[in-house]
Amino acid sequence: MDIIVCIKRVPQTAEADVTIDYTGKEIEKDRLSFDMNESDSYALEEAVLLKEKFGGEITVISLGHQDTEDTLRIALAKGADNAIRIKAEDFDELDGYKTAQIIKASISDLNFDLIFTGCIATDDAYSQVGVTLAELLDIPHASLVIFIDTSEKRAHVHRELEGGLMEHLDISLPALCTIQTGINEPRYASLIAIRRAAKKEIKVLGKEEIKDENILLNTQIEELFIPPKTKEVEFLTGSPGESAGKLANIFKEKGLI
Amino acid sequence: MSEIYTLIEHRQGEIRDISFELLSCGRKLAEKTNSNLTALILGHNTENLVGKIKSQAHRILVIDSEVFKDYNSESYQLALSDIIKKANPFITLMGHTAFGMDLCPALATQLEIPFTTDCLDIDVVDNKITVTRQVYDGKLNAKIAVRDNPSYLFTVRAGCFLAEESDLKTEIANIDTSVTEPDYRKFVEYIETPAGDVDITKSDVVIGIGRGIKEQENLAMVEEFADAIGGVVACSRPIVDADWLPKDRQVGSSGKTIKPKLYIAVGISGAFQHVSGMKGAETIIAINKDPNAPIFNEADYGIADDLFKVVPVLKEKVMELK
Amino acid sequence: MNFELTNDQKMLQSEVRKFAENELAPLAPEIDISGEFPKESIKKLAELGLLGIFIPEKYGGSEFDFVSLAIAIEEISRACASTGVIVAVNNSLCGYPILQFGTEKQKQKYLPLLSSGEKIGAIGITEPNAGSDVASLESTAVLDGDHYILNGAKRFITNGTEAGIFIVFAYTNKELKHKGISAFIVDRDTPGFSLGNHENLMGIRATGNCELIFEDCKIPKENLLGEEGQGFYICMNTLDVSRIDIGAQAVGISQAALDEAVKYSKERVAFGKPICKFEMIQNMLAEMATQIHAARMLVYYSAWCKDAGIKRFSKEAAMAKYYAANIAVDVTRKAVQIFGGYGYSKDYTVERLYRDAKILELYEGTSEIQKVVIASELLR
Ligand SMILES: Cc1cc2nc3c(=O)[nH]c(=O)nc-3n(C[C@H](O)[C@H](O)[C@H](O)COP(=O)(O)OP(=O)(O)OC[C@H]3O[C@@H](n4cnc5c(N)ncnc54)[C@H](O)[C@@H]3O)c2cc1C
Ligand SMILES: Cc1cc2nc3c(=O)[nH]c(=O)nc-3n(C[C@H](O)[C@H](O)[C@H](O)COP(=O)(O)OP(=O)(O)OC[C@H]3O[C@@H](n4cnc5c(N)ncnc54)[C@H](O)[C@@H]3O)c2cc1C
Repeated sequence: MDIIVCIKRVPQTAEADVTIDYTGKEIEKDRLSFDMNESDSYALEEAVLLKEKFGGEITVISLGHQDTEDTLRIALAKGADNAIRIKAEDFDELDGYKTAQIIKASISDLNFDLIFTGCIATDDAYSQVGVTLAELLDIPHASLVIFIDTSEKRAHVHRELEGGLMEHLDISLPALCTIQTGINEPRYASLIAIRRAAKKEIKVLGKEEIKDENILLNTQIEELFIPPKTKEVEFLTGSPGESAGKLANIFKEKGLI
Repeated sequence: MSEIYTLIEHRQGEIRDISFELLSCGRKLAEKTNSNLTALILGHNTENLVGKIKSQAHRILVIDSEVFKDYNSESYQLALSDIIKKANPFITLMGHTAFGMDLCPALATQLEIPFTTDCLDIDVVDNKITVTRQVYDGKLNAKIAVRDNPSYLFTVRAGCFLAEESDLKTEIANIDTSVTEPDYRKFVEYIETPAGDVDITKSDVVIGIGRGIKEQENLAMVEEFADAIGGVVACSRPIVDADWLPKDRQVGSSGKTIKPKLYIAVGISGAFQHVSGMKGAETIIAINKDPNAPIFNEADYGIADDLFKVVPVLKEKVMELK
Repeated sequence: MNFELTNDQKMLQSEVRKFAENELAPLAPEIDISGEFPKESIKKLAELGLLGIFIPEKYGGSEFDFVSLAIAIEEISRACASTGVIVAVNNSLCGYPILQFGTEKQKQKYLPLLSSGEKIGAIGITEPNAGSDVASLESTAVLDGDHYILNGAKRFITNGTEAGIFIVFAYTNKELKHKGISAFIVDRDTPGFSLGNHENLMGIRATGNCELIFEDCKIPKENLLGEEGQGFYICMNTLDVSRIDIGAQAVGISQAALDEAVKYSKERVAFGKPICKFEMIQNMLAEMATQIHAARMLVYYSAWCKDAGIKRFSKEAAMAKYYAANIAVDVTRKAVQIFGGYGYSKDYTVERLYRDAKILELYEGTSEIQKVVIASELLR
């Protein structure tokens, strides 16, 4: 079973200070740490689990700048066989649609039974690339997948809906799944695997190799701004003892205890 | 006259809340662009559904067929691509839900019309569209310009438009369809999360824990606090992903929606998927060491400090006052 | 000259950092209080290959270089200083001497056990009456047929309570002074070998530190490491390598303290502004960052010497260990200072870091001994 996994290197912003840079359209990235997008790491792990079961090859692909190769190498260390970087520096501004078109053009000569992507990237939060790519390739897709049981020809997948409900689908291969977090437990790369992966070559594709002339950008960032406050929070300050004391009093006043 | 379309989302015979929000959004856009609002329903035995949204749009287009009883992006796409190609509405809206996320990018790509997802707001000035989205874990908003085109497709985030009453005169039209469920994607069944021992939707006081709790052993500390204040422990998604609590304790769009008297978010950043499940709480408290965490935009009271220092003391203080 | 890490070093750094942040840091406060050896963490570290970092693959190791060793120990120590030294001892103080001085049979027997974490490694040099002055040790090993009979006691042995394999130094010939010391590989289950008191330490409290007691302990002859009388040399040679680790541990602890201090100084308000706006706070932060950078360079350099095959790098290793230990104590002290009273409270990480840092100036040769080494190299 040959699987392509699309991954993205994203800044880790959940616990970091995020500031807008001088252009007003980008954030200051030099102080942030970067890592594989969260749901992509689940997508990769799912591919590795299937490879362990069925054999075959995993190709990881990422549209990104030079440092993305570090992330691709980690993917190689975690079980991917081949890695491709598409030079983001060749393509100006990107959105989910444009990214999917570029990826489509760059995998045209690859064989695959499945393509996995993460269900959302934590930086631009589009949730577009996977489903768009499936449509461009004219293969069936399932998004937000949290369970896969596949044979060579068809796959039973569970999609996660709202309110804890799941949807059981039966799809034919080749197909694309966007993977939701929690489907498995992503592994860390062992040192030996890292050493082997460090020596592997990463295929780099640029504008010349991607012959599609009609790549379109749907959307462009005009400005970034700090979300307006929807509600004025009252911060309870002081030492943990003081702030907790104030809060306990509020509970009391409101009759909550 | 140009048209705004909204796609009505329903599941297991019920119209979903997002559909009413989309109708509100659609009416605003229709007013602004001097358009008609059409609500699209694909379903089976749709009278009941149609009744629920009557007077909310200028027109309801119904495609009633066994094949649309349960959502399947592929059969929906077969039908919708035809309709949209013919009618060429200015804007088509759907929810940024498991349904819209699965359908919008594929449908728009097939139709070759510009689209974007997870819009908080959509603004039209001289037929030029800018949308507001959220980026970087909800820490920033982005204003996005959309490429010029006669027709657009957007998914809208839940909770951004208020569902409102309206009294439009609604025309109802039916369209026949020959679409059948394709063999390459078949709907099999719905699967419910098994119910556990605690029903978080029934408790007046809910303490939600998030990734800030760092490891499973630390749950005990929060359980003790919950016992002291007489509440139950719920959580954000990563806690369920890590198998530290069962799925039925998850609050948020893919978990439960709760409306307790008191919700205390502990080490939760406040992603919209989480917030949508708890913002109906009467009083919201957030304890998070990052003073810029989006959760503080939802909270009535906040403590910007280390939860491991605050929670044990808070337990003591609550015990004293009880 | 090239200051850039290689691909595999970069990957090791990012993966170990992630592992340490997710899996080790959360446990650090807890095991500091309980003193409990982090058995589960060590199991996971073994799976990743971190218990045999430079051990060749044919002995079950990961076959990385010594710069990688330093990077890994720094990242682990940044999250948890106890775990950092546990790993360092296993790699450099037990694995290294076997790799360097062991027979092929010894390597095949012991290195896979150490690399896989099946057995933890420890080293016993220090005795109740012999610390800095290694040659004054009192343990003896007397050859009796196929066995050496070992008598004596060792003190302050890191990993002692958990280890299965010990490198132990004892006199086989007292007359020859330090040239009469020999090294042995001692299995935990050797008859006559028992554990003494568990140390109640100020810092790095979860390292299973205890006494070793040997009473007519029968060690098979083939467990002699190197040759009779080579023990002192083995010990010094091993300490050169392990000082890379301790330097790296110091850098890791210091980096953790700086990270905490930077964050806190932005949040804490006094006299109407965040304390990071005060020049005296900035002064401390700038000094800390510079000290850490200098220490890291010294550590990397000594590791590079080892990788480059430079035979004698005792001076470089001693400088790295001495300087890094010295600044770690200073950097963690400054971090506590920046935290004010809160820094003195067990509620804050810097309190632990300050305690953890102090050991760096003491073990694997006190700072005074490092300076003795450096000076004696200068005066050679
Ligand atoms: C389709 C879809 C559906 C989803 N459905 C849901 C859902 O139903 N429910 C849900 O919750 N999520 C859901 N998510 C995931 C959501 O996007 C977020 O990833 C998730 O809510 C983040 O959880 P968190 O806040 O616990 O973790 P994080 O975002 O990692 O935040 C952890 C927070 O803890 C704080 N913290 C860390 N340490 C401490 C400390 N010592 N003291 C105090 N604070 C600390 C940090 O500052 C940070 O703000 C969904 C995502 C998708 C794509
Ligand atoms: C937590 C911990 C873990 C340890 N782990 C191990 C282990 O795993 N294995 C092991 O074998 N040992 C271990 N040790 C022992 C450690 O290496 C010794 O404590 C150290 O070498 C110092 O020896 P000492 O304590 O006997 O001090 P002493 O040698 O008695 O020194 C006392 C003081 O005199 C100074 N001094 C001594 N000689 C000179 C000199 N020539 N010039 C100037 N000053 C001098 C010292 O610098 C020191 O300040 C550990 C110790 C601790 C506390």
